[in-house]
Amino acid sequence: MRILIVDDSRIMRNIVKNTLKRLHFSDDSFLEACDGQQAWTLLEAEEVTLLLLDWNMPNLNGIDLLKRLRSHPKYSALPIIMVTSEAAKYNVIEAVKAGVNDYLVKPVTERSLEEKIRRVLERKPS
Amino acid sequence: MNIKYITPFIDAVEGAFDQLFALQPKALTPYLVRKEEILDWDISAIIGIAGEARGLVVLSFPAALAQELTGLLTGTVKTNLDDDVTDTVGELVNIIAGNAKKGLEEFRLLISLPSIVQGQNHQVTWPTGPVPIITIPFSTVRGHFSLSVGLENIITV
Repeated sequence: MRILIVDDSRIMRNIVKNTLKRLHFSDDSFLEACDGQQAWTLLEAEEVTLLLLDWNMPNLNGIDLLKRLRSHPKYSALPIIMVTSEAAKYNVIEAVKAGVNDYLVKPVTERSLEEKIRRVLERKPS
Repeated sequence: MNIKYITPFIDAVEGAFDQLFALQPKALTPYLVRKEEILDWDISAIIGIAGEARGLVVLSFPAALAQELTGLLTGTVKTNLDDDVTDTVGELVNIIAGNAKKGLEEFRLLISLPSIVQGQNHQVTWPTGPVPIITIPFSTVRGHFSLSVGLENIITV
């Protein structure tokens, strides 16, 4: 199980990581990227089970990375949860149309993050 | 003052502080900012708003409170405005602006990446023209901070 956490805020990546550690994910479960471009490079080099993706980031933002991933056969079924401060319904709809599996508004709680991850991984085609 | 559209920002501040720091900030009486005003704070995070309205959101702290809040997130003691502090303040304004959009859904708004201004008595370049900027002071048990919001044709006085 490898989770790629993509967020331009190191503090937020650490909060998500620490939350997941409390949910018994091990230290080596995590990969981190600070923008969409770095995430894309990491995805090409590493095996990733789940992507936790922020929206507003420099270089390549989350929604554009999502669209790029969904148009690529290798990543069309990769489980992706958007973890973002963008709380408006039109943002959620845009992300769903672009192919996100689930959507979580920051600040995240341990319970909501666990629930979303469990739900997304259960739905993952084997 | 039309405070209808200020409420989503106050709600977003309260939600973020409660969730991230277990703090319950109290919103004090909002006031209109004079644009030449020098801010009596040490660090501000600024987010620009575009789309169906132009504007900005500015979150300002004294150094001690910004360091203390960062310490709560990192589990370390912060004694200066280092990268972790600027990251925390930037992410906070991002969460507040993004969450406030939920209460402003009748307007399609885009938020920019945060930028940081720091230094004692720093100045923010407010939008030119007749866009009123409203500041909402907040008090918490750990200190005071403020949120300033301007949204062209939405927040009016």
